[in-house]
Amino acid sequence: MALEDGKRLADLGLQSERLLWPTRGPHAKGPGVFEQEVAALEQAVGLTTLQKAVAWAQSKSMWPDTFGLACCAIEMMSIVTSRYDIARFGMEAWRASPRQADLLIVSGRVAHKMAGPLRQIYDQMLEPKWVIAMGACASSGGMFNNYTVLQGVDKIVPVDIHVPGCPPRPEALMEGIIRLHEKVRAGVPPAYEIRGVAS
Amino acid sequence: MGYEGVPGLVATREAYGETTLVVDPARIVEACTHLRDGEGFNFCSDVSAVDYLGWGETGVAGYIGTRDGRDLHEPGSQGLARVPEPKPKRFAVNYHLLAVAGEPRRVRVQAWLDDGETIASVVPVWPTADWHEREVWDLMGISFAGHPNLRRILLDDDWEGHPLRKDYPVGGEPVRFSEAE
Amino acid sequence: MTAVLPKRAPVYEGTRVPSPIPTVLRVDPGKHDLEDVLRVNFGPNHPSMHGVLRLIVDLDGERIAGLSAVIGYLHTGFEKTMEQKTWWKSITYPTRVDYVGFQANELVYVLAIEKLLEIEVPRKATWMRQCLSELTRIQSHLVWLGTSALELGAISVFWYAFRERDVILDLFELVTGVRMHTRYFQAGGLAEDIPPGFYAQARAFCERMPKAVDEYEQLLDSQQIWLERTKGVGLLSADDALALGQSGPVLRASGVNWDLRKSIPYLAYDEVDFNVPVYFGGDVYDRYKVHMDEMRESTRIVAQCLERLEGMESEPWIADDRKVVLPPREELHTSMESLIHHFKIVTEGYRVPEGEVYVAIESPRGESACYVCSDGGPKPWRVKLRAPSFVALEATATCMTDAYVADFIAVVGSLDAVMGDTDR
Repeated sequence: MALEDGKRLADLGLQSERLLWPTRGPHAKGPGVFEQEVAALEQAVGLTTLQKAVAWAQSKSMWPDTFGLACCAIEMMSIVTSRYDIARFGMEAWRASPRQADLLIVSGRVAHKMAGPLRQIYDQMLEPKWVIAMGACASSGGMFNNYTVLQGVDKIVPVDIHVPGCPPRPEALMEGIIRLHEKVRAGVPPAYEIRGVAS
Repeated sequence: MGYEGVPGLVATREAYGETTLVVDPARIVEACTHLRDGEGFNFCSDVSAVDYLGWGETGVAGYIGTRDGRDLHEPGSQGLARVPEPKPKRFAVNYHLLAVAGEPRRVRVQAWLDDGETIASVVPVWPTADWHEREVWDLMGISFAGHPNLRRILLDDDWEGHPLRKDYPVGGEPVRFSEAE
Repeated sequence: MTAVLPKRAPVYEGTRVPSPIPTVLRVDPGKHDLEDVLRVNFGPNHPSMHGVLRLIVDLDGERIAGLSAVIGYLHTGFEKTMEQKTWWKSITYPTRVDYVGFQANELVYVLAIEKLLEIEVPRKATWMRQCLSELTRIQSHLVWLGTSALELGAISVFWYAFRERDVILDLFELVTGVRMHTRYFQAGGLAEDIPPGFYAQARAFCERMPKAVDEYEQLLDSQQIWLERTKGVGLLSADDALALGQSGPVLRASGVNWDLRKSIPYLAYDEVDFNVPVYFGGDVYDRYKVHMDEMRESTRIVAQCLERLEGMESEPWIADDRKVVLPPREELHTSMESLIHHFKIVTEGYRVPEGEVYVAIESPRGESACYVCSDGGPKPWRVKLRAPSFVALEATATCMTDAYVADFIAVVGSLDAVMGDTDR
């Protein structure tokens, strides 16, 4: 993919994997709200060609950490399998060691007992690192509003993308991952920089 | 069913095809040993506890859905408040036993305790009761005398309180539905 | 009835259950030099796919000298939360307990409510529940197979197993609308009727599955590395298994002919023809064989259920009791009573008579049971879910006696513990 000065993502034909979004033909819709916002950010941030190249490389091989907690982990395992195939996006290399991982997909409910280890894993990851809160439980505590479940993992780690669902379909998780890639390529910094918190 | 020989037996109940043997908590180990060796219950399926604090206080109305509708002859079932029958003590510890044999049988052994009372551990009878009793201690606060390793199992070691008790709040956070809150 | 306990020489003499604590292996100063023992923490986040289990292991070189498990990293407070919800709403919770064999927990809870309600479930619902339970069993064993093989290094089996799993999840999606956590079983029957097209798709699956199981066995059965890593590893004798409360494939691999579907039949299992695989080695390889054979047997059961279900096309799928079951939406336009029933059931919830029941089923992991105590009101007073995975992990210390550290992943995997089920 050629990177040229002055070309935006939309000009290069980049779109999210939205299967039902008609982009050609009589019912063609323009870019969605997310794409418009990302395009606006991209213009505002204005990456140089080198930065764009680095962002492209980061997004094309973002290796996730094997952090499966509960039911969402089973759907997360499904994206590695042949039907949903995350290997198309260079992400089939799931690293067991957080030192080697770029992306932490918090998949499942986080009990208070697990909050400490979760933060420890996040701390051990090296910058740049991104976090996807997969599912309702990671985003907000889900259906468990009680003494033991952390009501949203963004209380302890800065989250880039929340993926709703209980559990989200593999396609939904892929959508979240693709949107993260688009954010990265547009130049949006990881969440710890935006929120100004410890990474 | 022939459970009269169980040591410490206080009462027997049959409901929904299940037999419940109410046993004196002071003789639980004897009773369980007799059931294992004499009656063939070689499998302890589950050890759990129920907290009956507040049982019957909310005035449960007697309108009960069954296959034939309301039972009009049941006292208080004309929609008036009917209180369920009171329980002898606050906690009931239930041991669900199973005889893994050609003719399988199930039985429930029940022991009643008040807050602060302890009951002997049945780990010497069925080793599987180890973690079940730890869970009961952790979540309900019932202490098992003679348990080799009575520590918290599901919650943090420094957790205070026993969550499954009825006087322990559910916890959680109030849900904000708009930015104004 | 055929003999339950094995009449052969036991896997090992005596008992290997550690003492005084049955679930903790203590370092024996007589066998290991305490200076050489290294305590390693296999923390809650580790490469094997078992979720958040923490094992504190004392290693003497490559041998395991001591072992203890710490669980609770996924404790979600299901039982406390279910006490706050009405009976109907609380059915969404047990599915998420054992999130791999998810319909099993749903089934056991719904069966417990129905036992207390003494409600009659139409036979179409019973047979469909049986069909879906067996599909859940196959799907759960496929996850088990994929992840266990992946951990032991046979990585490609993971893709083959999940290929069939996606076909099963397509069937669930066709019937219930979601792939996982279906909430399809209701007190009284099923939430909705069986859609057209299900039978054809399910039959296609039944024809495909035995060939797929053959493929998996072809990949693993004669594989030398697989055999060396699983044969003779993680031994558990029948007596120890019973003493430790093991059930399901672990118990059947130790030689005990015990399956709740045959011994204490529920649903309509006494009307279908299937075998129960029993092996006598008590090691990881035998547990693997039990899982494989069970997948074949479950496919047979699914085929038989489909035959019976096709003859029940126009029958009701849920009980008729309006005090418990929501009326069909068309009735709400014309019948005042239906509207009142609908209102009462949705807002206050149906009331379940006072009592306590204990219902057990054969989930993919073993005996999964639900103890429900009701006070006659619209919310459960106490729900205790007996988790087979909780009990399965109690056997880790016994299985790991005199084992190498490389074996413990195989053993923990073969015990098939799902952490949601363990911690609830």
